[in-house]
Amino acid sequence: MMEGACIKRTRKSINIFNTTEEMAPAYKLTYFPVEALAEPIRFLFSYGGIEFEDFRFDRENWPQMKPNMPFGQVPVLEHNGKVAHQSIAMARYAAKKAKLVGNDEWEDLEIDAIVDTVNDLRQKIALYHYEADAAVKESRKEPLFKETLPYYLQRLDAVVKANNGHLALGKLTWADLYFVAILKYLNSMCGGNDILADYPNLTALKNTVLELPAIKTWVEKRPNTDM
Amino acid sequence: MAPSYKLTYFDGRGLAETSRFLFKYGGIEFEDVRIKKEEWPQWKEKFAFGQVPVLEHEGKQVGQSIAIARYLAKKVKLAGNDDWENLEIDAIVDTINDLRLKLVPIFYEQDEAKKKALIEVVSKESFPYYLPRLETVVKKNNGHFALGRLTWADFYFATISPVFDFFTGSDTLADYPTLKAAREKVNEIPAIKKWIETRPKTDF
Repeated sequence: MMEGACIKRTRKSINIFNTTEEMAPAYKLTYFPVEALAEPIRFLFSYGGIEFEDFRFDRENWPQMKPNMPFGQVPVLEHNGKVAHQSIAMARYAAKKAKLVGNDEWEDLEIDAIVDTVNDLRQKIALYHYEADAAVKESRKEPLFKETLPYYLQRLDAVVKANNGHLALGKLTWADLYFVAILKYLNSMCGGNDILADYPNLTALKNTVLELPAIKTWVEKRPNTDM
Repeated sequence: MAPSYKLTYFDGRGLAETSRFLFKYGGIEFEDVRIKKEEWPQWKEKFAFGQVPVLEHEGKQVGQSIAIARYLAKKVKLAGNDDWENLEIDAIVDTINDLRLKLVPIFYEQDEAKKKALIEVVSKESFPYYLPRLETVVKKNNGHFALGRLTWADFYFATISPVFDFFTGSDTLADYPTLKAAREKVNEIPAIKKWIETRPKTDF
């Protein structure tokens, strides 16, 4: 066992119980085992170096959990004994903690507005994807792919071009992380193709965000899911 | 001097009324621009994403009704005192908006029979789910929607809940006295009461 007569003492304190004591992270994020609407919050906490428990429950447990959630929905965020809900509201909070917000109220308004616009697009895609009636769903397909997607993506691409490669304020803000974090979800709802294929500025933005060291680290370590 | 703010919307209360209430509450002058329905096609392309309301200030233009309301709320001191308080306000506003979004298909449905069917689904499912839960929130918050005190979440509900009535043709809050009282509390604020008396009378 020992290779010499000396026991090397390192600078680390000796833990006589041979345990590691860790404080639970201050934040616990609860969601389905997917990226989707929780991913912006995960991106933002990761970017800000803010520790969080990334709790993903088994789908089969959802029916019992749902009545205990505010308005029956996830994601939820627990902190200091309180529970928050609503994914964009929580993303805005995480952005403030991660210092990816504006410098004044008007700048924050510009960020909020583009995030809401991206969310509008998400909702329109979801209206197609989640439609239960097959005939109605089929009738929504062409308007979505031929009108709605190009309408939004052309304009978002133009915004990024005019903002130095970003979605607001000519610099990195939480709007950029929000958009890139939900891309896999948007693509999966649109049938699996890359909806940004024809939009060079949006594609460059995606790469910009994915190359941020903290985001790169997160993406490498997060569970691999389809959406 | 022209007001430093210009708010552009259709000629109605709709999604701009929250911001108009906030301007009036804070005593901030604004140009209240209303687009007539027949003029809309010429106007639509002037806006980045073809939508109103739009707020203009110091040469800049921004859309999205809730984002605008959040900005004005900070100006008129109806926001939270810290990041978590603002999260609580934001979350309840987004929840009320979620309920509004469930009703939007009614507005766009042209077929009368289908429209009636959509209204019935909302009356049987969405309202009974959301409204009692919103009542619980208001009861826990001293007659308000967040933080136990007046915030822009109260203004949001007071101005968006009439939109539910417009979509369904019914008095949505008939069985929800706590919610009605919360709305009335906002409408009775002197600056708001005066605005309600003097604002243009419109269908929506």
